[in-house]
Amino acid sequence: MRQFDWVTLFLLVILLICGIIAIYSASTTQIGNDFQTENYYFKQIIWIIIAFIFMFIIIRIPYSAIEIMITPAYIISIILLIIVLFMPEIKGSQRWILLGLFNFQPSELAKLTTILLVTKLISKPHITNWQIISRSFLFFLIPIILIFLEPDLGTSLCFIVSLFVILAISDLSAFYIILIVSPLISIVTSFSLIVFIIYIFILIYILYKTELDKIIIGFAVVLNTFFFFITPFIWNSLKAYQQNRILTFIDPMRDPFGAGYQIIQSRIAIGSGGFWGKGFLMGTQKNLNFLPEHHTDFIFSVIGEEFGFLGCAIILLIYFLFLYRIVRNINALKRKEFRFAAIGIIAYLTFQIFINIGMNIGIVPTTGIPLPFISYGGSNLLINIMAIGLVLKFLNERSIFE
Amino acid sequence: MYSRQQKPLILNYSIVGVFLILFLSLFKLQIIESTKYTTIAEKNFVRIKTVFSIRGEIYDRKYRSIVLNKPSYNLYISLNKIQDKKKVTEFISQNFDLNPGEINKIIYDNRFRLYKDVLIVQNINFAKMVKISEQMNYYPSLSLKSEKIRNYLYNNHFTGYTDRINENEYAKYKEEGYSINSYIGKGGLEKYYETLLRGTNGYQLLQVDASGQNLQFFKHNLDKPPVNGTSLILTIDNDLQNYISSIFPKGKNGAIVVMDVKTGGILAYVSKPDFNQNIFSENLTAVQWSNITNDPAKPMLDRIIHGTYPPASVFKPIMATLALEEEVINEKTKLSRCEGGLWFGNRYFKCWWEKGHGRLNVTDAIKYSCDVFFYDLSTQFSLEQINNFTKENMLTIRTGIDLPGERKGFFPTRKWYIDNYGKYVGIIGHKVNLAIGQGEVLVTPLQICAYYAALGNNGNWLKPHLLMKTITDTESNYIQPEIRQLPVSQKNMKLMQQSLFNTVNESYGTGVAASLNNVSVYGKTGSAENHMGKKTHAWFAGYAKQDEFEIAFVVFLENAGHGGSVSAPIARRIIQYYYNLEKS
Repeated sequence: MRQFDWVTLFLLVILLICGIIAIYSASTTQIGNDFQTENYYFKQIIWIIIAFIFMFIIIRIPYSAIEIMITPAYIISIILLIIVLFMPEIKGSQRWILLGLFNFQPSELAKLTTILLVTKLISKPHITNWQIISRSFLFFLIPIILIFLEPDLGTSLCFIVSLFVILAISDLSAFYIILIVSPLISIVTSFSLIVFIIYIFILIYILYKTELDKIIIGFAVVLNTFFFFITPFIWNSLKAYQQNRILTFIDPMRDPFGAGYQIIQSRIAIGSGGFWGKGFLMGTQKNLNFLPEHHTDFIFSVIGEEFGFLGCAIILLIYFLFLYRIVRNINALKRKEFRFAAIGIIAYLTFQIFINIGMNIGIVPTTGIPLPFISYGGSNLLINIMAIGLVLKFLNERSIFE
Repeated sequence: MYSRQQKPLILNYSIVGVFLILFLSLFKLQIIESTKYTTIAEKNFVRIKTVFSIRGEIYDRKYRSIVLNKPSYNLYISLNKIQDKKKVTEFISQNFDLNPGEINKIIYDNRFRLYKDVLIVQNINFAKMVKISEQMNYYPSLSLKSEKIRNYLYNNHFTGYTDRINENEYAKYKEEGYSINSYIGKGGLEKYYETLLRGTNGYQLLQVDASGQNLQFFKHNLDKPPVNGTSLILTIDNDLQNYISSIFPKGKNGAIVVMDVKTGGILAYVSKPDFNQNIFSENLTAVQWSNITNDPAKPMLDRIIHGTYPPASVFKPIMATLALEEEVINEKTKLSRCEGGLWFGNRYFKCWWEKGHGRLNVTDAIKYSCDVFFYDLSTQFSLEQINNFTKENMLTIRTGIDLPGERKGFFPTRKWYIDNYGKYVGIIGHKVNLAIGQGEVLVTPLQICAYYAALGNNGNWLKPHLLMKTITDTESNYIQPEIRQLPVSQKNMKLMQQSLFNTVNESYGTGVAASLNNVSVYGKTGSAENHMGKKTHAWFAGYAKQDEFEIAFVVFLENAGHGGSVSAPIARRIIQYYYNLEKS
């Protein structure tokens, strides 16, 4: 029995409409009693229409047709990620392929193709732990490194999060997951020996409790110690500006004339919105500070200022219902690769929402990641809607592949 | 191990967790801390203030001012504070020479820069300022600021001028810290040394609340002090510059350059007519602007490096040294008899002296500036040979002076003639003309000055320059002159110097009007026929020596007559003035 999830689609449409309204306001300036609006909201509508056509095609064509395109699409996105490194810099990074009419961000395409390729590869039957790790790492690391070179730390981070979530829900045993995650913690703790020693004891305890072989525990400890010692070495070999870039990423307040200033202004905008907000088009802060980005990365600050806590809470609620509804239904998917791919996509979107809103209210680093479905942006919007199209397609077909 | 059904539960919990964190953070920000942020928003407490660097000043070689900064009162408008656009517009147009349409255009052009103050009127006089400041309280969007603008102490073409940055320049340079109200060098040294003169703007972060308490959002490197621009010390001598300006024939257009032979430093740089560079910071009206740009005398044209002219007889030393170097002639060789002209096929080329000079050697040919001698020489060389030798002597290539937009000049090639005259063009006739610096060859007065300086410096060609040093430089890092060699042997160089000396100091030499008793003057006259008028352009170029002082000069006057009678006497006065100055 086929059942299309109209409620999820409806929630998506509501989010897109909220986005258009916010973009309209964000690109409107007021001088005295005069209002001037740039036509970003109109372009966004065009993009939504194009994206829905793609979504419709994805839902209607058989999955086998999509399946054969996954590998070529992955290769194309890697090629595009290489090409983009030769593009002119925009604000200090090379993220866009300039096409005249619009700018295309290859990392958007790469995120979808990477998730689909890796989940397809690791959902094959009788697959070993080692095969899962090697395949997923290999095909994730290529785009992660290329995106890191742009440099786009935020998007690289999104890829890493998707990778871990996919590994976590895959058939990988818990030990391997700990083995993969633990060196990351070692890197973080490498700045203090005492913290690291405490961490190693906790690690040994957990591994011991899971009744693992002593040799394997030993291996995990050696691996972590290696990362602990190598990190300061790598850190010191970085140039001062590279260190600064990473430190500013972690703590934007180090850069009061750049990222830190934007975050403070965003906090002021959202905080001054209060409970009810200042009203549609009535925001005052949006025109005072981070002008070029408030219809893209800082769109949430416009919502927060003009629609207040009430508006923000409603947006959060719609997002939550939208994601939760999909996640709940994913459990029912019998075909493993559908389940993995859907979870990868949802993990990616959830992380983006968290990072973007978190950045706007100043609780996570500044990244340059747009807010899914609401921020203005062509390739980002297109890929996100196509990804949801795929998820809806999986859910739609859940009963056929019993 | 988790079961298949359990695993997505982790994701469920993560999503709930993520949204809970965001919800609680928003609650804290928008409900608990709302009052604090509302006040900050209303009062605009947290903002970056740009601290502008002071532009470097420009001085002459004896540390006397050429360009200074002076205070100016400017009116700014903050678009986000406009309450009634119509009223503000009316107020401005009533008090200043701006109509509402122009004001609306400024507002419209800056509609996406609401957070920045936009300059409306600059250089407001004191009386007007007192008058409007009484009414300013009614218009919170307007503010008066005291800033520095440029003051050019005399008209000249080398300092250039500064003006407000335009949209294109702003788009290009905004990453370098220019604001929409910035001034930027638009020509001359102001443009060439923009980076040095400008310095770097600083920033100040304001983060205080109404009671003056530090809000402490930022704890790291809060302020960045500005780095002021560097002042420039030029090789120019203000006394000589102003003297030349004062004796420049009234109503004539032209250029005079004086250069230090030993260093390549420019001592005087006069191009006439000139214009007052201060007009750009004094609310230049459209009428004033069109008066300047439509003036047929082109006051904004720097004739020294942006004007190119036929060199006429000042080109002759090039032909003479070419012939000597190629050993086509020696110091004794006499060529065809000058009977007032020479036949080439069925064309007769006239010498400027109709009665004829008779048969001459090279020294006398230069001294009398006999055309026939050089017509005759032209048959010995190909066009490409003459062209190459001209370039090896640094003519028709850029000298590389520290000014923007220098022109190259021109020397035709065979290909150029074929492209412009068709396939069967006769090159010989053109070449005959080129040998006396007429026809298509074009040079800048600066190239000629540098060439004659090199003749006076035994063939060492020095790159002309205006910057002696920056004010922070010590003696050790003065600008070192760039040296190149003219392709002429010392023996032939001595012969050429003797010829130029004879031109000025022997009777019947064309340059006798420049001779002085106590100074050795070397020079060459030129009278260039041209399409601009009936009278010839008057050239006189050369160098002068006394004790350790040696200067090269070029005096060039458009359509003024003969070099020997018009330009040479001016050169004489300049040389005399310079040596009296150095003695006293």
